[in-house]
Amino acid sequence: MAFIKLVKNKAYFKRYQVKFKRRREGKTDYYARKRLVVQDKNKYNTPKYRLIVRFTNKDIICQVAYARLEGDVIVCAAYAHELPRYGVKVGLTNYAAAYCTGLLIARRLLKKIALDTVYEGNQNVDGDDYLVEPVDDGPGAFRCYLDVGLARTTTGAKVFGAMKGAVDGGLDIPHSNKRFPGYDAEGKSFDAKVHRDYIFGQHVANYMRHLQEDDDEAYKRQFARFIKLGITADGIEGMYKKAHDAIRANPEYKPAPKKKVEKKRFGEKKLTYEQRKAKVKKVKEEFLKQLEAGEDVDMS
Amino acid sequence: MTNPKGYRRGTRYMFAKPFRKHGVEHLSTYMKVYRVGDIVDIKGNGAIHKGMPHKCYHGKTGRVYNVTPHAVGVIVNKKVRGRYIEKRINLRIEHVKHSKCREDFLNRVKNNAKLRAEAKVNKTSVSLKRLPKPPREAHVVKTADTTIQDVRPKPYEFII
Repeated sequence: MAFIKLVKNKAYFKRYQVKFKRRREGKTDYYARKRLVVQDKNKYNTPKYRLIVRFTNKDIICQVAYARLEGDVIVCAAYAHELPRYGVKVGLTNYAAAYCTGLLIARRLLKKIALDTVYEGNQNVDGDDYLVEPVDDGPGAFRCYLDVGLARTTTGAKVFGAMKGAVDGGLDIPHSNKRFPGYDAEGKSFDAKVHRDYIFGQHVANYMRHLQEDDDEAYKRQFARFIKLGITADGIEGMYKKAHDAIRANPEYKPAPKKKVEKKRFGEKKLTYEQRKAKVKKVKEEFLKQLEAGEDVDMS
Repeated sequence: MTNPKGYRRGTRYMFAKPFRKHGVEHLSTYMKVYRVGDIVDIKGNGAIHKGMPHKCYHGKTGRVYNVTPHAVGVIVNKKVRGRYIEKRINLRIEHVKHSKCREDFLNRVKNNAKLRAEAKVNKTSVSLKRLPKPPREAHVVKTADTTIQDVRPKPYEFII
């Protein structure tokens, strides 16, 4: 093998320029963030709100925020783990749950700024185009822009489910139906019925029915938690319909009660300066005592 | 043989990005708010090509007279031969920052207003003037741990 010069030597590290911290962590797309967050200078300090939708493996996080120099300020937040309160106990990261979370944050935010009676949003959920109309006399609709983060914006993505929930809840989010499930890329047409089925979890219900017929073992494995709660394929639409009504009835945030946790100690407690000095003094005294007594000195 | 008249001639170092500060501009540059009358420093940013100042304005300080969506209009005094001409230039946000020369004054104004309000409430009189550092007050110097060094000038001695 020919001689290979070490590339990552001291000089390399001295000259290396790290990317922004959140870019190194792979969490923020600064190209998108600059365009989402920055306000026109002739609008001075007016907040530019954005609806942040993020999906983890088991949860959905929806937040409405605006940017400030000291750090972004979150106006309102909603999580999919709050949905059990409204009757949705399983399937917390599917399209229907995303819709519910979007609806929840919209109603919660509008209630917070006292616009929930003025902007009711779309009461009949049919998956069709709906854009919030500003009321003639009174404040305009609450406008925010969707922040997908690093999610891939394909047709039928769940981020758009959350956005649809927020729009139907009464927020003004500019969008088109090109990325909703039910949009036909070839025909360039939108089928609202397919979208409606996704909002009410019918795609999950259909899979449940399919598995039940074909492979019972797989059905039991895939939908174990549904079976435990007694949720059938036919009951799914009703479950989400009830959830939408419950969300509209009471979108207030209820914080979980604080649990009393007793702190467990795993190691020894650190000694104070006096305790350490006392320890040394004690060992010294014992050593001298042994010397005086003339015994064999213990050198350990 | 005259010098070339290129717009960015001689700016190899002036508009260069500092060491290890290349790449995307951090967002606090864009989040600063500029109002008409603000005093701003002009510093060209070579990474942003739009709305750049001419090299003669780099390092100058001016006042904002206009605010547009992505830029500000700045009034700068440019020395041309024997006089100063008031120039109006349009600069994007990335090439402009708030001048700290104004910061001390604005803080003092705010502080004075607060002190004046307090004095009004407490019915005390308060002097808001800035004073230069006065001579040291009379004080006792202990020489227990130190020796006093007597310093006096030496008579002239010619040394090669």
